[in-house]
Formats: sequence, C-alpha cells, structure tokens
Amino acid sequence: MAGTVRQIDAENTPGGAVRRAAPFFLSPEGLFFGLLMASVVVFVLWPIAAIFLQSVVIEGRLSLAEYIHLFTNEAGLLWNSVSVSALTTVLSMGLATGVALYLTHTRLPGKRLIFGVLMLSIIAPPFVSSLVYIMLFGRRGLITHQLLGLNIDPYGWQGVALMQTAGFTAMAALLILGVLHRVDRRLEHAAHDLGASSPRVLLGVTLPLAAPGLLVAAVVVFIRALSDFGTPIIIGGRFTALATQAYLNVVGLFNMPRAAAMSIILLLPALAAFLLYRRTLGRTNVLGAAPVLERAQDRIGLSPGTQWLLALTTWGFIGFELVKYATILCGAFTRTWGVDFTPTLGHLQALTADRMGSFFRSLHYSFTAGAVGAILGGVIAYVLVRKRPPGGKALDFIADLPYIIPGPFFGIAYILAFHNPPLALTGTAFIVVANCVYRQLPISIKAGMATLAQCRPETEAGARDLGARERHVLVDIVAPLMKPALLIAFINTFTSTMITIGAIIFLVSPDTKVLTVDMFAEIKRGRIGEAAVLANVIIVSVLAVNLLFSWLYLRRRKT
Amino acid sequence: MKRNGFGRLVVLLAGVMALFSSQALLAAGTELNVIAAYNAKQDIFDAFSKATGIKVNQLDMSSGEVLARMRAEKGRPLADVWFGGGVDAFIAAKKDGLLEPYVSPQAANIDAKYKDAEGYWTGISLVTVDFVVNTQILKERGIPIPETWEALTAPAFKGEISMSDPSISGTAYFTLYSLLAARGKEKGWEFFAKLAENIPFYAKRGSEPPQRAAMGESLVGLAPGLWPELQAQGYPIQYVFPKDGIPWWPAPVAIFKDAEHMEAAKALVDWALSKEGQEVLKTKDPRFPTRADVAPPEALAGVDTTTFIPMDFLTAGAERAEVLKTWQERFAK
Repeated sequence: MAGTVRQIDAENTPGGAVRRAAPFFLSPEGLFFGLLMASVVVFVLWPIAAIFLQSVVIEGRLSLAEYIHLFTNEAGLLWNSVSVSALTTVLSMGLATGVALYLTHTRLPGKRLIFGVLMLSIIAPPFVSSLVYIMLFGRRGLITHQLLGLNIDPYGWQGVALMQTAGFTAMAALLILGVLHRVDRRLEHAAHDLGASSPRVLLGVTLPLAAPGLLVAAVVVFIRALSDFGTPIIIGGRFTALATQAYLNVVGLFNMPRAAAMSIILLLPALAAFLLYRRTLGRTNVLGAAPVLERAQDRIGLSPGTQWLLALTTWGFIGFELVKYATILCGAFTRTWGVDFTPTLGHLQALTADRMGSFFRSLHYSFTAGAVGAILGGVIAYVLVRKRPPGGKALDFIADLPYIIPGPFFGIAYILAFHNPPLALTGTAFIVVANCVYRQLPISIKAGMATLAQCRPETEAGARDLGARERHVLVDIVAPLMKPALLIAFINTFTSTMITIGAIIFLVSPDTKVLTVDMFAEIKRGRIGEAAVLANVIIVSVLAVNLLFSWLYLRRRKT
Repeated sequence: MKRNGFGRLVVLLAGVMALFSSQALLAAGTELNVIAAYNAKQDIFDAFSKATGIKVNQLDMSSGEVLARMRAEKGRPLADVWFGGGVDAFIAAKKDGLLEPYVSPQAANIDAKYKDAEGYWTGISLVTVDFVVNTQILKERGIPIPETWEALTAPAFKGEISMSDPSISGTAYFTLYSLLAARGKEKGWEFFAKLAENIPFYAKRGSEPPQRAAMGESLVGLAPGLWPELQAQGYPIQYVFPKDGIPWWPAPVAIFKDAEHMEAAKALVDWALSKEGQEVLKTKDPRFPTRADVAPPEALAGVDTTTFIPMDFLTAGAERAEVLKTWQERFAK
C-alpha cells in the first residue's frame, strides 16, 4: 500500500522509480536528514579509520609489523579472549534463558521482583562488580574467608568468566524475554497435546522458535565480553585478554600502534559474530515488544522438575545480584570493609562540592546525550525504513560498529580523529557527549526501526496526500508513533552515559569530568567506602530517571 | 491527551537542560585546569585556592594516560598544569615537546637532582618505595615483619608479594631499576629472580599492590605512597622502609605547552615549590619535601635517608626498553 504514494510521485517525474529518493533528499528537510546521516560517517567511520591507520602507518611508513608481531608472539591473547568470552556467553545464555522462561512460562511467584532486579542489573557502573567480587570472594572476602573460613585464590580466568556472566546475564535475559513473549503458544500446546513432556516442549518447540532472539542475545554477550577490558585488569591475576592488553599498551607502554593493531584484531571475531547475526537473522525484532508479565491463561503446564530447575536458576541469579547490590550499599556505610564493619556516615564526605559538580555534569551530559541520541536514532530509523535511501544498509551497518569496539578504543579513536582542525573538538563537552550518543546509536536506531516496522505507513501517506509537509508528517504523525522507541533510546543512552567510563576516560578534561571518573579515581586510591558512596549515587539517580520516564510514559498509555 | 504526555516530557527535558546551562554560566571565573596524580589533591588545591583565589578543576589521571592522550592529540594541552606522577613520564613528555619550560623563582631552593636542568619540570616531593605489610595476617602466621629486600625472598612469602607489572607501571619500573642499580645488573637480576619466586602475578595497576596488602589479598605490597590513605581507613597495615636501600624519585610539577591559563599555572607551580606550599603538601600527604628548609613530615621522621638508592633518572629512562625486554623474557609469563 505504501506504493500508492510512490506511484503518484512516479507519475509526476518520469522514470521516478529510479530517482525516487532524490526529491526527498533535495528538500530542506531531506537535506537536514542527510546531514544527520552523514554525521554517522564523521563520528563513527572516520574515528575507526583513524585507529586502523594508526596500526598500519608506523613512523610514517606503511607496515604490517604490528600484525605480524601479534600473530607470531601473542596469538595466545586472542585465544584467551575468544575462549573466555565464549564461556561467558554459554553461561550467560543458560542463566538468561532460565530467567526468561521463568518469567514467561511459569506461574511461580516473585516476577515483579525479578523484573526489577533485571532492570537494576543493567545500570551497575563498571568496575563496581569486580570490586564487590573481591569484597565477597577475595582471599579475605566476607563470604569465602570470614563466613566459610576458606582461603582460596579467586584470581584468574574463572573469576573473569564468572563476573562477566553475572554482568551480562540481565541484559541477555531482557533480550530473550522480548522474543519469548511472541512465541506462538498454539504450537506449544500442539506439541503438548501430542504427548511431548514439558522439557521437550521447551527445548524442541519454544527455544527453536525463539532462536533468532537467542542468537541476538548471544552475539551481544559475546561481543560485550570480548571488549571488556576492566574485569581482567582487576580480577584476572595472571590471566589477561586482548582488550586488557590493548588498553595497557596505551596507558603503560605508550605503544599506540600495537594497541591499535590489537583492537583491530579484536574486531575480527566480533565482526564475524555480528555478520553471522545480520546475515541470517538480522531482521528479527528484539526490541519491539514491551514485556508483559501477567497475561497468559494459555500457558502449558510445566512439569515440577522443569519448574524446579527454572526456579533454581532464576533465584540463584537474582540472589547473587541482590547480594551484590546489598554489598555496594553496605560498603558505603561501613567503616572499613573486611576490617571494621561498624556502620558510619563518614564516607558521605566523598560528596564534596567538586564531586557534586561532577555529578551535575554527569546528569547534564546524560540528559543531552539521551535526548540527542533518541532524536538522531529516530530520524535515522525513519529515513532508513520509510525512504530506503541508496546506501541505507551500509549506513545502518556503520552505525552498528561502535557496539563491537572496546570502550577505550572508541575514546582513543575520537582523540585521533578529532584533534585537528576543522574538527578540533578534543577537550570539549561536545566530544564527550558525541562519543556517548554514537556509541549507543545502534540501539537507538534499532528501537526506532522496530517500532516503525509495526506502524502502517498509510497514515503518513494519507497526511502527505492531504498536503502535509514532510516536517509536519514527522512531528505530528511519526514522532507520536515512535514515542516508545524514543523512550527506549533516551533511557538507554542516558543510562549508559551515566555509567560509562572506558570510552570517555580518554576524552574528559578537568572541567568536563563526570562522576564515574571520580569513582574510578577513588577505587584507584583504595577508598572503597567513598567509591561505594559514588556508585550508589549513580545507581540511585539512574534508577530515579528510569522510573520517572517510564512512569510518564506508562501513565500516558493508560489514559 | 496523548500530546500532553509527550509535551510534558519535552518540557521537562528542556527545563532540566536550561537549569544545567545556567549553572555552568554562573561558575565562570578565574579557573585553572590541573591533571593530578597525588593523594589528598582536593585538600591541597583547596589550600591553594584559599591562598590565591584561583579555582582549580582537577582530574585524576595516571602518567601513562596523560602521555598517551598528549601524544594522540599531537601536543594539544589537556590542561594547564600536570601535578605529580612518575618522573619518567615527565622526562618523556619533555622529549616530545609537550611541556613549557618555567623556572620558578622558588626553584632556586630545590636541589638540582630533584629538577630538570632547563626548567621543564620541578620536583615537589619525593616518592619513596616502601613495603606495605598486613600486620594482622603476619601475626596470625607468626611471620616477623620484613625489614629488608632480602627478607622478602624467604619461603614464608611464597605467593604473598604483590608488585605491579614494570612494563605498565612507571613506579614498578623504577622499583625494579633501583634493585638493579643498587646491586649491579648481574647480581640485581639474580636477586630479582629470587624475589619473583614469591610474586604470584604482576598487577596491572600501579596502585593495586598496597590495596591488596590492606585487604589481605597479599601479605606485602610493593608500591609507594598509598599507605597514609589506607592506614587512616583502619586497615591493619604498617609501612616499612627497607633498610637495604630505598628506591625513590621526585614527583614533579610541570606546565603544559600552550597552556590556556599560563599566569595561573605559574602561580600554582610557585606555590607548590614555596615553603608554605610544601608545608601543606607534607601535611596532607606525608612525603619527603624537595626543599631543604622544610622538615620531613612526622610520619617519616625516623626514616634513614642515607639508604636512598642513588639514581640517575635519565639513564633509567634510556635503558628502559632494554631492561624491560630482559624482564619480559625472564619473568612475564
């Protein structure tokens, strides 16, 4: 039906089928959209190219020496990264699938709590989890040593895989949840009626039907684990991964070409996973559905054994997460963790005027990044879905790239790309915000595309036929339709900007410092209580904004 | 109704942004941007602000990060002043032309071995390497407090000594280099091989070893400077200055080339090198001052300064690649 409008256009311009996109991009609005889309090339492709150049141009000459060095001397690092990331992916997926099935396929209690904990889990600032791990499971940790009297050494790849699993499971569970809700229950019933046991229904019908979503979640977890540099730094012990080593090559050895080569190599497995996902099942709409918790009378009855298994997996994970947050909370009000557990308000002195400045700056940048990210993502999604411009797919792909780059490298890429006029932007607040916006742009665009795919284009066409200008179509028709997507994009970009550290640690300056940077400095100084206070401030404020915006949105929905 | 909710969202957003922008405008004044790697830096800069009326924005950044960023930005200054950190990074930054030479009138009071001959950087205090030992666990296991480097090679410390990777941490590199310098290369490497038997892995952050010792993750942490913070928090630790040689180096202050607030930057350098400034520095973070007319802080009063290991920082810098290559071949895996 969308074709009707185009046909009218085509009648007006001979050969219009070929030049369909051209008139739109020549209109003032089109020009503006084009400019926004071009910004993706400037703020994503160009920085990545700058990193690549850094790895092959050594002392002014083209050279593959760094790559040869990597493959001959440090192949073990790549293996470390890929194997531990794969392990993390398997573990996370197992847990996440269990949690998601618990929420969609059982009548067991506590779903609101579980959903709340999942939302809480995706807003933990990085480094904090690793710190909690040492506080609880270290050689003198509260659980391992002081409660159980053990004296184990928790440092190594096992610890890294465990903490990464804990960190990524919530995100994976939320992604899987979205797909499980759309699995056709009639097929499950059919299998059940034909005599399949409940584990067989889940494994043979439900999960295969949800396979696209599972694959998306697995790819996201795998890529996140590959690019995680912080966990191995703190609890890796002898174990080290490629992303970690690349980061250390920059800050320790001042060896930028080697670090650049390492991050490019790191892109290969990430890119492979990502291409696989795009090629085969990239059209799957994971972000589209809002989770519905209490609905189905149409559930199949699961066997007690299956229910037990799901409950055990879910509550094991939820229990662990609750302990983690309780630890962060207690750490902020405990005199000296591990030594003196007297309650105290003394660490609140961490909230100096300087810190409050950083905090308000964090909020400011995050609001700006969230708003800009939502609008940019929405506009790009609109143009990609409705206008299908030439090169649209390539643009979508380029916009996805920041997602598979380790945070610190997206930061360094920005320095390399934006220190020269006419784009000399380093040291400004603009570059910090831009980095956060473009890093989360894939999510913003995907959310927009998913929502638009569910809306009928006839409404827009109708408005156009009645003489509405493009601008009005966008503001009065498309924007209201896209509200859920804009909200997802805003909250996601806001949250990630509030908790990010890896990418912006290379971009902030003394007058554009944010609260995570202060928190990182406290961790470096060994002031766990103060670091915990700042972590709580970040968590609580992100939570408040998430709830406020969800409430505004949900309230509107009900009326 | 639908319009309403969305409109409210937009108004809320706009309101919040306007609020923040107005705050930013109100804050304008004489400001100085400082990259600092120094304990209690906020207290120190508060004292400076009180003395001069200049507001300081500070950012904590390790020396390696500073160098990496300055090089990537081809020398565009990150801030006005670089305050504290590893002297090796300052020497490298001078070589790369990233610093502004400034001979403060106060620098005359500072020994030549604590400053750059051309005024590119000047030492504000001395960093000294000590052992941070966890006294509680030592007592539990009946191990006497180690007072020398030799004592750390005892079997009782197997798997219990924490040191940073010298190829990552400038601090750890100087510690390693000092051990080699004090004993001569050959004997030095032999000694380090014995010490390495007791080091389970090399930490990837310079500040990690003392933290590990404080939290009981290891018995001994080798790194300077963090013990006052940790002790104040009540961790069962003690700091020990090794009797058979103390590694040390100056923590410099320098002005970045093309600094935006040059006059204010010079004021901070002058203040940090002045008698008044160094008194503040040593009270806020107990280190040896670089001025002879400022007494060492009380916490360091008993330390025998004659055991400082003689160091040539330029040679240490020049031999860095070679020493680290040997280290990596023998100990990195």
